[in-house]
Amino acid sequence: MSDLVSLPATTRTRGPLPRALLVGLFIVGLQLVIALMTLVWTPYDPSALAGQRLEAPSLIHLAGTDRLGRDLFTLIMIGARIALTVGCGAILIGGLIGVTIGLAAAFAARTLDDVFAAGLDILIAFPTLLIAMLIVASSDGASLWTATLAIGVANSAIVARLTRILGKRVLALDYITAARISGSSWLSIVFRHVLPNIWPTLMVNLALQFGLAVIAEASLSYLGLGTPPPNASWGRLLQEAQATVQTAPLGAIAPGLALVALVIGINLLADGLRDLSDPARRSA
Amino acid sequence: MIFSYVLRRLIILAVSILVASAVLFLLLRLLPGDPANALVSIGADPEQIEAARRQVGSDLPLPQQFIQFAGGLMRFDFGNSFISRTPVLPEIGARLSVTVPLTLGAFLLAVVLAVPLGIIAAVRKARWYGGLIAVVSQLGIAVPVFWIGILLVTLFAVQLRLLPSGGFPARGWQRPEAAITALILPIVTVALVMAASLIRYVRAATLDVLGSDYLRTARALGASFSEALVRHGIRNGAVPVISILGIELASTLLGAVVVERVFSLPGLGSMLLLGIEQRDYPTVQAVLFISTLLVLLVGFAADILQRLVDPRLRGVIGSRP
Amino acid sequence: MSNLRGGEILGKGMKAAAMATAMMLVTLAGGQAAAADFDPDATINIGSLYEPQNLDNTAGAGQGLNEAFNGNVYEALFSLADDGTVQPALAKDTKISEDGLTYTFALQPGVTFHSGKALTSKDVKFSIERVTSADSKSSRKNSLKPITSIETPDDSTVVIKLSSRSISLPYNLSYVSIVSETAKDLTSKEDGTGPYKLASWRRGSALALARFDGYWGAKPSNGDVVFHYFTEATALNNALLTGAVDIITSVQSPDSLAQFKDNKDFTVAEGKSTTKLLLAYNDRVAPFDNVKVRKALARAVDDAKLLKAVWGDYGTLIGSFVPPTDPWYVDLTKTDAYDPESAKALLKEAGYPDGFSFTLDTPNYDPHPIAAQFLQSELAKVGVKVKINIITANEWYTKVYKAHDFQATLQEHVNHRDIVFYGNPDFYWGYNNPEVVDLIKQAEASTTTDEQTAKLKKANEIIAEDAASNWLYLYPQIVVSAKSVTGYPLNGLNAQFYVSGIKKAD
Repeated sequence: MSDLVSLPATTRTRGPLPRALLVGLFIVGLQLVIALMTLVWTPYDPSALAGQRLEAPSLIHLAGTDRLGRDLFTLIMIGARIALTVGCGAILIGGLIGVTIGLAAAFAARTLDDVFAAGLDILIAFPTLLIAMLIVASSDGASLWTATLAIGVANSAIVARLTRILGKRVLALDYITAARISGSSWLSIVFRHVLPNIWPTLMVNLALQFGLAVIAEASLSYLGLGTPPPNASWGRLLQEAQATVQTAPLGAIAPGLALVALVIGINLLADGLRDLSDPARRSA
Repeated sequence: MIFSYVLRRLIILAVSILVASAVLFLLLRLLPGDPANALVSIGADPEQIEAARRQVGSDLPLPQQFIQFAGGLMRFDFGNSFISRTPVLPEIGARLSVTVPLTLGAFLLAVVLAVPLGIIAAVRKARWYGGLIAVVSQLGIAVPVFWIGILLVTLFAVQLRLLPSGGFPARGWQRPEAAITALILPIVTVALVMAASLIRYVRAATLDVLGSDYLRTARALGASFSEALVRHGIRNGAVPVISILGIELASTLLGAVVVERVFSLPGLGSMLLLGIEQRDYPTVQAVLFISTLLVLLVGFAADILQRLVDPRLRGVIGSRP
Repeated sequence: MSNLRGGEILGKGMKAAAMATAMMLVTLAGGQAAAADFDPDATINIGSLYEPQNLDNTAGAGQGLNEAFNGNVYEALFSLADDGTVQPALAKDTKISEDGLTYTFALQPGVTFHSGKALTSKDVKFSIERVTSADSKSSRKNSLKPITSIETPDDSTVVIKLSSRSISLPYNLSYVSIVSETAKDLTSKEDGTGPYKLASWRRGSALALARFDGYWGAKPSNGDVVFHYFTEATALNNALLTGAVDIITSVQSPDSLAQFKDNKDFTVAEGKSTTKLLLAYNDRVAPFDNVKVRKALARAVDDAKLLKAVWGDYGTLIGSFVPPTDPWYVDLTKTDAYDPESAKALLKEAGYPDGFSFTLDTPNYDPHPIAAQFLQSELAKVGVKVKINIITANEWYTKVYKAHDFQATLQEHVNHRDIVFYGNPDFYWGYNNPEVVDLIKQAEASTTTDEQTAKLKKANEIIAEDAASNWLYLYPQIVVSAKSVTGYPLNGLNAQFYVSGIKKAD
């Protein structure tokens, strides 16, 4: 399974910073600013019936109104905040759990490592959706938190698998073997040798997971297992607008575009980060 | 040798299945809520709710419920649904007749699309179409599958009236042409998203191969570029792609739940979703067990296949990569 | 002997033919196309969101079974017509003793089950006892409690003895599907007497009914009927739009109606529903044990605006739990009408000048989350803070219905004639007014329907005056069909959907 390590390479760009990184930074930065802005100001109160049902876009309602007469632009702005919150939370949870388990597996004896590997295979076999359903069902209903936790737990299996492979590779290096024999504690090996070595690849992977988390949150909300009202998740907006796709198509398109833009932005950012951390590039 | 690897891998598979079934049972019992609730309606009195609990067995102690479950599993008997009170296994069979064609169809279509496109994107990365493929696949992986579904239905079913908008024929595969047309849009929906991410992996793998020493060596020894690519590149490039394919196939199997929702298909995913909603443990257990089994088998097959294909690993005895 | 139901047709010598005609008249209301040129063997494709969970109403089959089976596959001693009247069905003739405690039913002759067995009184006894048995999950079990014995003096006579007068007995018996006593596996098979038999059921997809040639009554005006089940309303609408189904039994949001309304290929028909949306308080706990607080909240919510937001121009405002189709309906929309200023004053009087906050347990399916958000913004205007807690239907039963562990909740109540819930102090909302309990009990023991109606009207007024719950609105009942299809029922009382009168043009 070592092949997971070789992530898709991208065209390397010349210049001080990769172009992908700049474009990604711009898109994600813009959405981040919008998301932060909704904490203090939105064009309308998100749950207020600000207009008539399904108004067409106008200067008063930039993206029109939804089926209840709420300002769609406001809801899409709040959607950015939810997407970013869930994305950050999920990779934080996924990263913490995943790296811990992955390192433990990498250090473990071979039989134990087999158990870890098999366990991770099982965990990966369970789709995010299922984990989400179990978590949602075993708490007080769906919330921002359950969605985040579910996606984070699902991510952690993938992160763990990657960490395990990367970690084993580093541990096999001669100087680490030497350090182990000379009696360095495993903790110091982890922090002085393993983590710094695997960090660049891990970070790129986490960035990709971030994008997947945003999509996963939308899917969960589409199924009614994500962020509950009044917090408008893009997935729920799309689900609600599905009924009016004929009569008010914008509602079924705008939140989707916002979502796609964010995920592309994050992926570009990940690609850019990889280019930055690429040893070939660094030596150049 | 390969046999000792297969044997080792088989033991891991068996243990995984055992562990998975026990974990499943316990996880489900952590869910609050009572399956009996799905059987009563507003107006029921406490006595009736007790009767419902007796019916589904949720009044029994946990160990006793587990013994019943494990005993059934040995006989490949998943019991009766709490809700419909009919055996779960035939129902799963009926659902698989939707989900398996959907998954495999989407998978094959995605591979057929992604492998040539991914190779072209790598080999011709300097050309405009090589770049275009890369950009489009970037776009593809950023789109949630349900959104593509909604847009495709609107365009091809509602506007153009070319294909059914959803649902599955009442008589299922007894009317093959109706069943196939019902599955075309869902298959395309899943395949598009799957192909987008596959293209990226195929392209990356091809780029790796292109930059590799053996390809250069082969060319230096006089092989043409395409000859070298076909003889050495594909075999080497296939290794990482196979493991990705295994994961993709597995995740589509249950990821189908979203697509089944968009198209109102009576597949395994919708059975699971409804089962969880109703706390229909026998149904949920059986669906999860069967799908975990399928996923583990796919993983097993992918690992073995990878072993057989990978020239570096074929000679190595029994060591995990 | 006395004939109990003044207005309703019941009792002596009502002929089956006459009944069938009456049903035709009712069901024909669904369309206006010429009845002559229809295809008598057409397949009618019906789209619905409500798939039965199983096929046995005493095993928790859900409302989907009423829709597909009641009056179609299964018949009862009486039937609830689409206009809300109770009419004889398998009971050809009913005699009631002077004390109202003994009912003698003469069964319709010549009725056979789909299995070929003839209907006898033993089947009726068996069927009623299935509903009243200890293991029954039927929501009608309680209303049949007064039954002390069921006797079968001969094959065509059933005698039911009661412990107390029960004027609603024929109405309640209209929910008891008559099944053959030799039937097995009723959760996945059927053996009824209706005009259709079950042809196939593919779970998650479709349930097909085929015309039963041995039916005792009028022959259906179509060949067979397939109920197609959808999990997404949009997928259902698309199916109608693309011709995959002919009828949608009950449209659950107005969003999609525009595309059918202005389209000459479709008929949008609005009937009368019995589904009410409620903000139900837990009347046991503070501050909702205070009538003033409840009245204040009733006045603080602009129901008309909510209805408009959720349903556009459809739906009806109600001032109490009783919809206009119940005989004891009184227009109470003026009681605690929208008036935020007096709401604030009432809150002050009740000792909450700065308002208060409460948690609203909200089921996770439409229209509850939307309504919850609306209530949140309306109540904020009078200083009451609402915390929305989204829960699943399953949790709702555990937390709210069984444990009464809630402050307030949103819930839709679908049943016809369900004011009786306010006469049960142990019901989830915990409304306890001895006068109402007494009135509802007396109403059931009435000797005439007029007396019953008068008592329930009184109870209804008191409940409204107490603002026992906050009745937000009555759902519209909208059936959309292709123009070529006519003769379907409009009101869908108790989710029933009689299909035998449906015609499809050639």
